[in-house]
Amino acid sequence: MKSVFIRTTINGKTYELDVRPNMTLLDFLRDELGLTGTKRGCEVGECGACTVLMNGQAVNSCLILVPQIDGQEILTVEGLAEGEKLHPLQESFLDHDAVHCGFCTPGMLMSAKDLLDHTPSPSEEETRAAISGNLCRCSGYQQIVDAIRETEDVRSQKSK
Amino acid sequence: MKPFEYHSPRSLPEACALLAEIGADARILAGGTDVLVEMRKPGSSSSKAVVDITRISSLKGIEESGDEIVIRPLTTHAEILRSKIVEQYAPLLKSAVAGIGSPQIRNRGTVGGNIMNAAACADTVPPLIALNAKIKLLSSRGDRTVELSEFFLKPYATVAQRDEILVEIRFPKLPSSARSSFIKLGRRNALSIARLSVAAIMVKTEAGVVNDARIVTGAAFPKWQRVPEAEHVLLGQKPSRTLFDEAGNKVSEALISFTGRRWSTEYKEPVIAVLVRRALEACK
Repeated sequence: MKSVFIRTTINGKTYELDVRPNMTLLDFLRDELGLTGTKRGCEVGECGACTVLMNGQAVNSCLILVPQIDGQEILTVEGLAEGEKLHPLQESFLDHDAVHCGFCTPGMLMSAKDLLDHTPSPSEEETRAAISGNLCRCSGYQQIVDAIRETEDVRSQKSK
Repeated sequence: MKPFEYHSPRSLPEACALLAEIGADARILAGGTDVLVEMRKPGSSSSKAVVDITRISSLKGIEESGDEIVIRPLTTHAEILRSKIVEQYAPLLKSAVAGIGSPQIRNRGTVGGNIMNAAACADTVPPLIALNAKIKLLSSRGDRTVELSEFFLKPYATVAQRDEILVEIRFPKLPSSARSSFIKLGRRNALSIARLSVAAIMVKTEAGVVNDARIVTGAAFPKWQRVPEAEHVLLGQKPSRTLFDEAGNKVSEALISFTGRRWSTEYKEPVIAVLVRRALEACK
């Protein structure tokens, strides 16, 4: 099996390296780069725990082969905060007690970011649809929906 | 995942040459939402090579071509959902992709993959058959066009050869007088596999008489097909609840004549009839 050369941007940092092609993006992030914020759940694209953004769109990193990120831009949960300053979504999740066991949280945050980037003032229904690919095993969905809809940027959009 | 050689051709000639060379040991990768799940199953047959076709830009996009719509196979479900062309000329296809998987799956999964994987629950297939879609397959031996309704042999089996790539999906635009719908029965709204689905198209004359009716069921018959017995009930008639019930019963009868009575018949027999009626009501 020949390795494959890729050039990719992950959380704003450029990587140029040879990768084994029979590895998923999820395994690459966790095992090769140590970015363990992205969680390994079902590995068949049903739980959403491994959700990351690829070119700004929410995707299941368990369903992408690592050579497929060549030339693409990836954002993981580790790329949300700026230094010590949490992303407004993360602040809102804390404010709303939207984190229970926390396992679904990274994936929820990434699906929520995709939603808010494209729909600044989502309805409750739009919000629920946006996280329909993310399972919360603690079933704390209402707090998560509230947290997304009442994120700081969203509120300022609403008041405009 | 078992080791394999990875190829990412940038053009169709390059992809065809690769598939001709590698032969039956190659696996074509598009959105990956089915293939990567399959490849990691314990005991799955190993592939010596993966041919990732996602870098071939000519396989992407939706366009109008005279009276027809052309959808290239790497178009994702999310792209179909956002397409004004699909919304205007094939709204039932939009309804169908809206219910596929989750946002993450729709951002990766492709219409071509949905067809080529040929799962009985493939949600794009009933609408596309109702739209009289044709598909074009390409290999190093040349190309051929197949009616989508003739393409499937049974779930997970098609007439495509291992070295053939789906390069185009084409169907006539629906006239503005047409009404269409897609109804899916699943165990939940998101990430649900269709247990049964119905795609329906109905066109009426100015006098309100049905002059074109197409009904295709998903996950019901051994393969997808229109149900002419049910369509004939509607032709030349003014739509009514009684007529829709009758069409639904015809689909039910056709289903049983194909599959025989089995453990699920007690459920599917009345339910498919109701789904057909609801799909037709949604076309009014």
